[in-house]
Amino acid sequence: MTGDLLVILQIAGRRCALSALEVKSVIETGTITPTPRAPAWIAGITALRSQALTVIDCRRAIGLVSDAADGEWPTDHRAAVVAEGGHSYALLVDGIEDITTAAGEVGQIPGGFGAEWSRVARGMIETMAGPALLVDLGALLAGPEAVRGEIEAAA
Amino acid sequence: MDDLLAEFIAETREMLEASGGELVAWEADPADRARLDTIFRFVHTVKGNCGFFDFPRLASLSHAAEDALADCRAGRRDPDQHLVSGVLAIIDRIAQMIDAIEAGEDLAAFGPEGGDEDLIALLDVSHETSFSAGLEGVKEGSGGGLAAASEDQGTPTARRADPAAQRTIRLPVELLDRVMSGVSDMVLARNDLAHRLRQAGTQPTIDGPFERLTTILSDVRDAITRMRMQRIETLFSALPRLVRDVSAECGKQVMIDLDGGDVELDREMIETIRDPLTHIIRNAIDHGIEAPSTRLQHGKREIGLLAIAARQSGNTISIVIADDGRGLDEERIAAKAVATGLVTAQDRAAMPRDKVLNLIFEPGFSTAETVSNVSGRGVGLDVVRQNLEKVGGSIKVASAPGHGTTFTLQIPLTLSIIAGLTVEVAGHRFAIPQSYVEEIVQASSRALDFTRMGETALVTFRGKRVPCLMLGEVLGLAEGEATATEPTLVMLRLASGDLFALAVEGIHNHGDLVVKPLAPAVMKSGLYAGSTLLDDGTPVLLLDVANIAAQHALVSDTRARVLGAEEDAAGASADTAPRAMLFTDFAGRRSAVRLELVQRIETAPASAIDRSAARPRVVIDGLILPLLGLPDAPLTQNRVRLLRLSDGACELLYAVREVEDAVELTGALSPVPEDPLVEAITLIGGTPATLIDAHELFARHGEPPLAAERLRCTLPEGEWARAILAPLVAAAGYDIVGADEADDGTVGILFEDVYEVAEALGRPIPPRVIRLRDQPEAPAGSETIYRYDRESLLAALAAVASARTGEAA
Repeated sequence: MTGDLLVILQIAGRRCALSALEVKSVIETGTITPTPRAPAWIAGITALRSQALTVIDCRRAIGLVSDAADGEWPTDHRAAVVAEGGHSYALLVDGIEDITTAAGEVGQIPGGFGAEWSRVARGMIETMAGPALLVDLGALLAGPEAVRGEIEAAA
Repeated sequence: MDDLLAEFIAETREMLEASGGELVAWEADPADRARLDTIFRFVHTVKGNCGFFDFPRLASLSHAAEDALADCRAGRRDPDQHLVSGVLAIIDRIAQMIDAIEAGEDLAAFGPEGGDEDLIALLDVSHETSFSAGLEGVKEGSGGGLAAASEDQGTPTARRADPAAQRTIRLPVELLDRVMSGVSDMVLARNDLAHRLRQAGTQPTIDGPFERLTTILSDVRDAITRMRMQRIETLFSALPRLVRDVSAECGKQVMIDLDGGDVELDREMIETIRDPLTHIIRNAIDHGIEAPSTRLQHGKREIGLLAIAARQSGNTISIVIADDGRGLDEERIAAKAVATGLVTAQDRAAMPRDKVLNLIFEPGFSTAETVSNVSGRGVGLDVVRQNLEKVGGSIKVASAPGHGTTFTLQIPLTLSIIAGLTVEVAGHRFAIPQSYVEEIVQASSRALDFTRMGETALVTFRGKRVPCLMLGEVLGLAEGEATATEPTLVMLRLASGDLFALAVEGIHNHGDLVVKPLAPAVMKSGLYAGSTLLDDGTPVLLLDVANIAAQHALVSDTRARVLGAEEDAAGASADTAPRAMLFTDFAGRRSAVRLELVQRIETAPASAIDRSAARPRVVIDGLILPLLGLPDAPLTQNRVRLLRLSDGACELLYAVREVEDAVELTGALSPVPEDPLVEAITLIGGTPATLIDAHELFARHGEPPLAAERLRCTLPEGEWARAILAPLVAAAGYDIVGADEADDGTVGILFEDVYEVAEALGRPIPPRVIRLRDQPEAPAGSETIYRYDRESLLAALAAVASARTGEAA
C-alpha cells in the first residue's frame, strides 16, 4: 500500500481516503434530479456529459445522518466520481482535500471505528497528510440497509 | 499472448455456434459431404490451435473427432447415430473447456488427465494412434498426416471461405458503448450550441455549416445504433441443436424450420429473449408435439414440425413459434386454473377460449402432470412473460386442438432507445415509454367524474370506470393544486390489456429517449426502469409503468375481464341513441356538436392562433386550419381547447371554453329556425344545450377541399423562376413540375428567346404556352407578357385554367 496515491476526503467531519485508482474524476455538481422513493442516501441523479451519475450522500450512506441532524456538515460543491459494478456514482462529501501518497499499510486500531464506520472501513492508513480512514467503496455504495439486511437474514 | 488466447477463444466459440446447426443437418443426411467438411474443418482448426497453446486435452479430443470424421470423408466408415452422438459429445466438451479457459479455471475441473477417454472411446475408431502417447506424438504424427491427407483428398471447396459471409471485424462491446456515449455527448453539445445560436439571432455564415453538422450527426447516430444490432441468426443457429437434443430426450422426432434470421435486433435484447425462447421450444417439444406413434394414429406425419419465424414491423419484432402438436387443452387449463384458485368456476364459464388459454402465463400455473427432465422445472411461463414484459415486450398464445399451438412474442427493437413522453409533477420531470400510452386526456375533474373510493381514485373514461393513480402520490411528492382541479391524465394500457390513468400536472414533449441503466439501489424502489437525458442535458427518470401498476395491484386478470364485459355493454347501447360532445363555448353557452364530427380534442397554445386575417386560423400538426368560436376580446389563457371537426373532406376547429363530456342525445330536438347555425335545442341532463348545425357550419367556414387533380405548370430554368415566379404560379393554384413530368395538360411558361429558339429548331413545345419577355414594352404583334406584369400573368394563368375546366366539362 505504501506509495499508492490516495484521494483525501472529509466525510462527516472525519478524514477519509479513497484509492486514487477508484476515483475517475472530480466534477462540479450540477443540477441534481431527485429520485423519489429511493433510499435517503441517494441524493438523486446528475449528468456528466451524456452519462447519468447516481449521486450518493456519503454521510447518509455510512448511516451517520438522521433527518434531524441535517445540515450539520458542509457539502463540497465538487463530487468525486467513482465506478462500481458498471454504474457510475458521484460522491457528495464535506470536502475534497488533496491527493497524497500512502505512508504505510492498512491497519486496524484497537476498539474499531464504531458500528457505522466499521462497515465501510478497510482500515486506518497513514498518509503524508496524516492518518485517514480508508473507505471500502463497495460497502459504502451498498448503503446502510446492507447491515440491516444482514441482521435480518441472520435472525 | 493473452490477446492471442482471447482470439482463439472467440474464434472457437464462433465456429462452435456455426457448427451446431451443421451437425444436426449432417445427422439428418449423413451423405451430405459439404456439412461433413464444415464439421471436419472445425475440429481440425481447434486441434491445430490448441496444440499451439499447449492444451493437450483439447488437442486429444479434437484429434479423436477429427480421426473419426476423416474416416467418414475417406469412406472408411459410415456416419451413424453412434458416431454423430460421439462427435457431438466431444464438441460439447470442447465448448465447456473453452468456457473454463476463458474464466481462467484449471481444466482439471473436468476430471483427471485422461478423463476424456470415455468420450474418445465412444468414437471407437482410432486404432492407429495411441492416446497414451505424448502430446508430441499426437501433434506431429497424426496432425501432419491428416492435414496432408485432407489435401490429398482434394476437396477444393472445403478450404475456401464462404464467399457470402460478411466482412467483419471483432470489437469489444465496451468500445462500441464508448463510441455511442461519445455520440450522445455530441448530440447534447449540438443542442446546447443550437440554443445559443438561436439566442444570437440568424447568422447565415454559421447556420449553413451548423445545419450540415446536424445532418451528419444524426446519420452517425443512426449508424452507431445499428452497430449494436445483431442478426437474430446468432440466436437461431443454436436452435437446431437444441431441438435435436430435446426431441431425442423425449423420444420424439421434430423438424425445425427457421425463418427471418436476417432480422436485426439489439445485442442485449437477443440475450434477453434467449431464455424465454428456449423455454417455449422445450415446452413445445415436451408437451406439444406427440410421440411418433400417436401422431400416426391421428393421421399426421411422424415427424413433428416446429416453425420459428422472426419479423420486423416498425419498432417491434415479432417472433412466432408454431408447432403442429396436439394443441392446448382448454378444459384442462380451465380445470387447473379453477383448482389453483386463479379463477372461480363462475368466471370460467364466462371466459372465451383465448382468455382461458392465456391463463398459462399466470404465476403458479403448470399443467404437466409429470414433471419431466425437459420442462416443468418450476420455472414456468409466468417467468417467461415477466422477463419479456420487463423489456417492454409481450407474449400471447393461440391454439387449435389437435392442430398445434402458436406462441407470439412481441419485443421492442432495442432496449436503449425508446419513444417516450415527458411528464411533470410537483416540479419534477419523468419519462414514460410511449408504447404504454393509449391516450392523453385533459379535462376538469367534474367532466371526468373523478371520485375517491376509499384510497383509490376512479375516473370515467369513455363510459368506463378506470382506476387512477396520482403520480405525485405514487412518488411521494407534494401534490400540486393543479392536479386536483384540472389534471392531465395519461391513459396507460398495460401489456395484459389493463387500462389505468396516471394523473400528472403537465405533458412536456415526446421524442426518442436514450435510456441508460440506473444504479441497483435506485432500481430497488421498483418505480424506475432507467434514466435518460433531455435535450438540455438534465437527467430524468424513466418510470417503470408495469411495475408501478403491479405495486398498486392494478394488474389482475379479473379486473380486465370485468372491464371487457362493460365495454361490450357500452358498445351495444351506443347504437340506440346519437351521441354528441357537450361543451361550453366562449360566450358561455352550453352547446353540443354531433360526436361523429369530432375528430379529436386539441389543445393549442395561444401563440398558434393567428387573428391577423379576417378569419382566424390556427396551426395544428403543421396545418393551417380555420378557427371558429373565438371570443372577440383577446384571449386571456395561454392554452385553448379546440374541437377538431371534420366532414370527411375538410377540417375546421371550434374553440371552446371547456369540454364536458360525450353524451347521448336522448331528449327531443326542437328546431331553432331563427338561428341558422343552430340545428336544435335539446335537454341534456335536465339543462338545455344548443346543438350546432354542422351543415351550415361547414358550408360557411369549411375550406374548399383541394382539387384532386391540380393544374400543372413547367417553369423556365434559372434562379429567378424558382425564387420569384414559382410562388406566384403556385399561389394561382398550379403544381410546379419538371419538364420530364409534363403532359398534354401542362402549361409551359417560357422566356420569349427560349421559345423562339425552340420554335426555330422544331423542338417540342408544350401545347399551352405563356411567353415572358424581359422588356416592359411589348414589341409589335408579340403575344408575350412582361415578366413583372403580375395582373397579365395571373389573367393568362386563369384563362388557361378555365379553358381546361371547360374542356373537362
